[in-house]
Amino acid sequence: MAEVILEALGIRKGFSELVLADISLRLERGEILGIVGPNSCGKTTLLRILAGLEGYYEGEVRRNGSLGIVFQEDRLLPWKTLMENICLGLKYAGRRDIEKALNYARRLGISEEDLRSFPRRVSGGTRRKAAIARALALEPEIILMDEPFTGLDFSTMVTLRSSLADLLRERGISAIIVSHQLEDLLTVVDRCVVMTPKPSKIGAELNMRGMGLEERINALKDVLMRMVSDHGP
Amino acid sequence: MIKIGALSSFILLLLLWEAISLPGLLPSPLSTLRYIASLDPDLIALHTVITLYNSFAGFSLSMLLSLALGFLSHRNEFIRGFSMGICSIFNSTSALIWSLVLVSTIGILSPLPPILVASAVSLPQLLSATIAALDSVDKNLIEAVRSLGGSSANEYLDVIIPGSLPMIIAASRVALGLSLRISVVAEAFGSSGGIGYMIMRSYNLADAPGVLAWSLILIALVLALDRLLLMPVEERSSSWLK
Repeated sequence: MAEVILEALGIRKGFSELVLADISLRLERGEILGIVGPNSCGKTTLLRILAGLEGYYEGEVRRNGSLGIVFQEDRLLPWKTLMENICLGLKYAGRRDIEKALNYARRLGISEEDLRSFPRRVSGGTRRKAAIARALALEPEIILMDEPFTGLDFSTMVTLRSSLADLLRERGISAIIVSHQLEDLLTVVDRCVVMTPKPSKIGAELNMRGMGLEERINALKDVLMRMVSDHGP
Repeated sequence: MIKIGALSSFILLLLLWEAISLPGLLPSPLSTLRYIASLDPDLIALHTVITLYNSFAGFSLSMLLSLALGFLSHRNEFIRGFSMGICSIFNSTSALIWSLVLVSTIGILSPLPPILVASAVSLPQLLSATIAALDSVDKNLIEAVRSLGGSSANEYLDVIIPGSLPMIIAASRVALGLSLRISVVAEAFGSSGGIGYMIMRSYNLADAPGVLAWSLILIALVLALDRLLLMPVEERSSSWLK
């Protein structure tokens, strides 16, 4: 059995109402796990709990590796160039392997000219790539990504999905990708958990390793049909 | 188009001044310029330097206080309330009152009243702008820096200070201009030098061209300072916004 690098046990969290009712999940080393669910079901809250950014919740999170986060918003410092933003974590860690960080940026498709530009002057897609490159630059063992493909145009989304999946697998980085759109994850993840509407639980889990695209689509369709009949649309 | 609009306002004011001077109510623009040309350049330089010194010293004092109180207010609710109180009180007190109170308590021979008046008048502008600028910093960016392993010092150096700087510098531009205009009021009431002192001296001697000439020198000084120093600094601090 593969080593579990991140595990959540019985997570419960509410604000004015209960959002996460009882969530348990695990991430294996080198695995890419997708979390999908309807809007407002608490996906971002769950990700923040896994990242250690959210206080006051019930349950337990066990982590056995360094962590990088890609937030839903790009959160690039607007007064720094993309290059400075990407190297920010390295600066804090006192590391000088800037070239390695910039390689991630180039692999994701950021041009040299864009690297020297301020975030305001580049496209939304390039900003998103820079946010991902910034998280990858520290070469974390786990990376958590909140809706990394949302709001991108089709061609940017397709190329980013493919280059990101290649990078993660090549480097053996374990990842959790949260999305409200199944198609975001179909070609990228090894396993997928589907959250129910709030108060959320894990409604279904699907191992997609070794499946072709058509098989993945059919398997997910079956899972969703089952969930709709159990929990409503 | 903006430049033409700005130039038009200058021309309009000049024409109005010329019109008022025709019945002899005021010396004309030309006679005022002739008066300035007749002044000893060393005298102009001396009193300009005194006024600049008073306003810069007053502005620097209020800037230091604003930054200290602003950053402390960002971390402590009591100091925030205290700073808000200071802003309200100082905002409600006119430059005339500060001038009279400070001249009568510190004395006419002291160089302090013009400096303190400039400081008292610019303090609420700078302090409220500093507090608002710090409040407006995006908390998500602070969280992003933390998630990358940044320390509290990194949060200040990489997010809070650069994020609040454009707003503080824009307020400084207004506050420095205000300090310059207000320090001359204190100079007029209780000082032995400066443009304000020269305006009051000319007025007491019924020297109308002198009043206008020194006033014009003050206006030119404020404009030059704004265009040559403050505007470029403001533009530089917010270059990433463009």
